[in-house]
Amino acid sequence: MAFCLRRARWLIVGLVAAACFSPLNPPSGHGASRPSLSEGAQKHLLSFIAEPLPNHAAVQRAPSFYSPDSLYDFMDGGADIYLLYDFQVLLHQDFKSGPADVSVDIFDMGSPEDAFGMYAAERSPNYRFLPIGIEAYRSQGVLNFLQDRYYVKLAGSGTGSDDLLDRFARLLSTRIAGVRSFPSLLEKLPQEHRVRHAEQFSRKDPLGHSFLSPAYIVSYKQGAAESKIVVSVAKDPAEANARREALAKYFSETGKCEAVPSFGAGALKASNSFEGSVIAVARGRYLIVLVHPSSDAAALLDQTARVLR
Amino acid sequence: MKDQNVWNRRDFIVKPLALAGAAGILGRPDLLLARPPLQPTESSAILKRTLGNTGLTLPVVSMGVMNADVPGLLRRAYELGIRHFDTAAGYQQGRNEEMVGQVIKDLGARDQVAISTKEAVRGGDRDLNTSDGKARFIANTEKSLRRLQMDHVDILYHHAVDSVEAAQNEGPLEALRALKKEGKTRFIGLSTHQTVEVISEVIKLKIFDVVLVTLNYTMAHDEAILGTIERAAKSGIGVIAMKTQAGGTVRPDVHLPNPLPPVSQTALLKWVLSHEFVTTAIPGFSTYEHLAQDFSVAGDLAYTEEEKKFLADKSFAAQAEFCQQCGACREACLKHVEVSTLMRSHMYALQYGNTDMARATLASLPAGKGLDACASCEACSVACRNSVNVARKIRDLKALRRANAFAA
Repeated sequence: MAFCLRRARWLIVGLVAAACFSPLNPPSGHGASRPSLSEGAQKHLLSFIAEPLPNHAAVQRAPSFYSPDSLYDFMDGGADIYLLYDFQVLLHQDFKSGPADVSVDIFDMGSPEDAFGMYAAERSPNYRFLPIGIEAYRSQGVLNFLQDRYYVKLAGSGTGSDDLLDRFARLLSTRIAGVRSFPSLLEKLPQEHRVRHAEQFSRKDPLGHSFLSPAYIVSYKQGAAESKIVVSVAKDPAEANARREALAKYFSETGKCEAVPSFGAGALKASNSFEGSVIAVARGRYLIVLVHPSSDAAALLDQTARVLR
Repeated sequence: MKDQNVWNRRDFIVKPLALAGAAGILGRPDLLLARPPLQPTESSAILKRTLGNTGLTLPVVSMGVMNADVPGLLRRAYELGIRHFDTAAGYQQGRNEEMVGQVIKDLGARDQVAISTKEAVRGGDRDLNTSDGKARFIANTEKSLRRLQMDHVDILYHHAVDSVEAAQNEGPLEALRALKKEGKTRFIGLSTHQTVEVISEVIKLKIFDVVLVTLNYTMAHDEAILGTIERAAKSGIGVIAMKTQAGGTVRPDVHLPNPLPPVSQTALLKWVLSHEFVTTAIPGFSTYEHLAQDFSVAGDLAYTEEEKKFLADKSFAAQAEFCQQCGACREACLKHVEVSTLMRSHMYALQYGNTDMARATLASLPAGKGLDACASCEACSVACRNSVNVARKIRDLKALRRANAFAA
């Protein structure tokens, strides 16, 4: 049997290699070896919602699983953004406990960073936040939380559903375990005037520029003035500088761009009619971009550069 | 950090899908010429068309906002001349609607733009009685209007209708009629991926002003889809196209080992808009670069030499070999084997490296309709109209089975 499986594996390798003759086929490695919707993966997800369940909640119908190519069936165009964050698998299951209904959606996003990115893309700072998982919030019959590589979305209706949502969330959090903290880079960025629950991680196209990917984004508010720090994470200092050059080129073409030595070596200030103004500087493998910089931009830039050093 | 120079599983689907259009049209220059693209009245003019009987006149390129989380993109789109913005209650849990509403308010441009949003009926809501279904749909629409900071939208869609029964659901239908009567939407619409069945029903219902349909180059040969959409347009229903580049625009080009040229995106969009029954398309760009690229099409729908070259590049056919699951090959097989399911199994096994899924897919076929029926044929003679080499793929599957790759 083991020989047969080895033989099959080599046959697959051979066939894949034969199929990979063209530039349209993916290279071997990361893309080809991504986790798939295997029975093992399904079982792992199902273990999170195995009995015993809160309030003796009963399963309403068979669980359904969605992969990147079938997520459209579940949420139509809403799937696009999940795919941008490298969505892997979704488990959907409905439960009932007395008059209360709960639906559980567990999105395996493949990594804690992408789970955070997707979670953050959907949360609003105005929600009511709860200490479940890394972070959770409630909003209109919904309780969503983030933990490890999972973005968990619970929706309830009927009498007692709020309590049931809460119990489900706590149980799932216990069973998921794993990473229970936000990405460390976000924690390092300046805390003063920070808009809580507004941090983001953009896997692709931060600020509408693919060359800035990936990036962490933190918002700040002082009075009526709102600004952002965007930290674009490059492979090395050379790539960070190339990103700075690309940003300078774009603003030169669509607005204006000038060097501002007072903000440090290589710093630039740029603006156009639709993005507003930015100050950018490359430090190490990071390109730090201040969007709508406030009056204390120089200090903020300096502080950010220091914590990232 | 993840390696950016690789394809993800989604790329396996969408990139070949985008290219399969090129594959489908190979050797068929007649399709390129079948519906000559409109010429702009002036070289720098933005082409506009009227949306069915609504009287709304829109630039041929609009913005599907679902992928955008940057307000500047909407502002830039407006600056360039885009006047229709499409969102949905379900996009980023309503955050997308909030962004659209705030930008339009900041621009002071509400009377200059057409805003559409969508409400889906999902899960248990499908089983609600008419009265409750209507109430739920109206309540959800009211939430959308609050997020959009608007007293009305221009088009309100029943979102992602996937069956004739769902299209006939009286709850949403009554809600849409009531919301239109109250002025909370100027026009009512329906979005679907099941074009032939659902749009045929929409034509019969005579209720909807607009339909939002998937249309891209992979459907170049599908007369049923094209014919149905054209019939809808002829009946006065406005047609808006989505998924026009089969996901190509929103995919990160840097993830491709050999990136698709920008010309592929404009070529694919022009192909959709070359159908005069399409009023406008809603590509879902998420960068300024793709916005400029897509909107450039609105100035001139004539193919450039490079675009013609892309659409006619025969190498794509051999490389893409994407099964569109049209099922036409089933009748071509003497044993009526479910060839399209076998092709899907092949994709799972060899493109995804997922033999579990391939095995499950093969096992789902009834006896005599799967790989077992192919055993007595030395070579498959089924010819795919979309250039998929069916014989080779079945040969691959047989080899995998002999090697016990599908053993449980």
